[in-house]
Amino acid sequence: MSDSGMGGCPGSRMQDFREDTKGGKVEGGVRQSQLKQWPIQLHLVSPEAPYYQKADVLLSADCVAFTVGDFHKDYLKGKSVAIACPKLDEGQEEYTEKVKSLIDDAKINTLTVMTMQVPCCAGLVAIAEEALHSAKRKIPIKSIVVSLQGDVLSEEWVS
Amino acid sequence: MHKYLNTPIKEVIMKFPQVGKILEEYKIGCVPCTLGSCLLKDIVAIHNLSQAQETELIYRIEKTIYPQRDIKRPAFKQAAKKTAVKEIKYSPVIKRLIDEHALIKKWIGLIPEVIENVDIASDSGKKLILDGLDFIRFYADKFHHAKEEDILFGYTDKNLDIIKTMLADHETARGHVQAMIRALDKGDKKTVFAHLNAYKELLSEHIKREDEILYPWIDRSISTTQVGELFTKFNEAEEKLDKEVIEKCKKFVQEVEQRVQKIKTEKKEVTK
Ligand SMILES: [Fe+2]
Ligand SMILES: [Fe+2]
Repeated sequence: MSDSGMGGCPGSRMQDFREDTKGGKVEGGVRQSQLKQWPIQLHLVSPEAPYYQKADVLLSADCVAFTVGDFHKDYLKGKSVAIACPKLDEGQEEYTEKVKSLIDDAKINTLTVMTMQVPCCAGLVAIAEEALHSAKRKIPIKSIVVSLQGDVLSEEWVS
Repeated sequence: MHKYLNTPIKEVIMKFPQVGKILEEYKIGCVPCTLGSCLLKDIVAIHNLSQAQETELIYRIEKTIYPQRDIKRPAFKQAAKKTAVKEIKYSPVIKRLIDEHALIKKWIGLIPEVIENVDIASDSGKKLILDGLDFIRFYADKFHHAKEEDILFGYTDKNLDIIKTMLADHETARGHVQAMIRALDKGDKKTVFAHLNAYKELLSEHIKREDEILYPWIDRSISTTQVGELFTKFNEAEEKLDKEVIEKCKKFVQEVEQRVQKIKTEKKEVTK
């Protein structure tokens, strides 16, 4: 058994950032949440909800919001959101159907998919692409991949 | 330096020709521009240079304009200007326009062969020219230029010189088409070909500027929401057009390619 935490699935490999993240400025004040809806979990949300109609939607992997320090300010602001885990959640086919319904029925303007750099997380982009493929409408989809320490590694349009 | 950053590029280059040469090293081709009214600072900003390249470029221009001044050489790597321009990944709306350019470039790339090999006095030759004009009118103009003029440019400042230049090019192109139609009616081959060639020259340069300068700049400045809006507006605009005509235009390019090839082969056989 390795005690270094190396090897195995990169998505669940243990890593210790305590030394790296204790820096940074301690800021005062209170920041406003940029969340403008409830629920947010992809199984629970309804594409009929008013905040999805013609909206810019952020489909975020569960872990993203915990890693990106400025998630609310830089990514959630101005968007309606849905979250999911493409690795652990049940009923992924329903996810595809729901994203398809966001595209066709809620007629969303754009879809931004935010995932972690771990390979299994790319499944969320695949769900979005599959939904777009089967949808009648076409919309632009952007993929943003973040590192385990919250840095944006890539940001590109995938369709 | 502030004064020159706010001076139209043509004036700067007239006064300091070396500045034009420096800009060319950074693939900023202002010297042949007919208008040249863009401000130096806008030109530097609009090109997708890295921070190091931009600092270096400004330093070199300042050094050229004020050789006596003691300007601190910024700390930049010598290799800065040799590094390739940052890789550009376009949004789907800009990508769509660039793909359309590819088809337009294919047709205008065939124009010299057409001029050399096609007899417009013949029925089939005249038809080819008419089909080529239809391509220009429907595909290049109504399908492509219209999306730029009616939609995309609305997301920029229409008073910007680069936008004015692009709009003026579209008008000049329309003028060439009208002149070709008139000349074709009279069977004036020389005039038809002169305008066809002028159209080719104009559009080649126009597309190059859009692909390399204007589009990357617009793409960097539009938000995700705007990309979605443009995407929908482009689709709506395309839906209003006759799909069959657009398909016919796409086929035309394939056909003319084959046609030119065939004529060349026949010619070769005759001369054998
Ligand atoms: Fe144009
Ligand atoms: Fe164009």
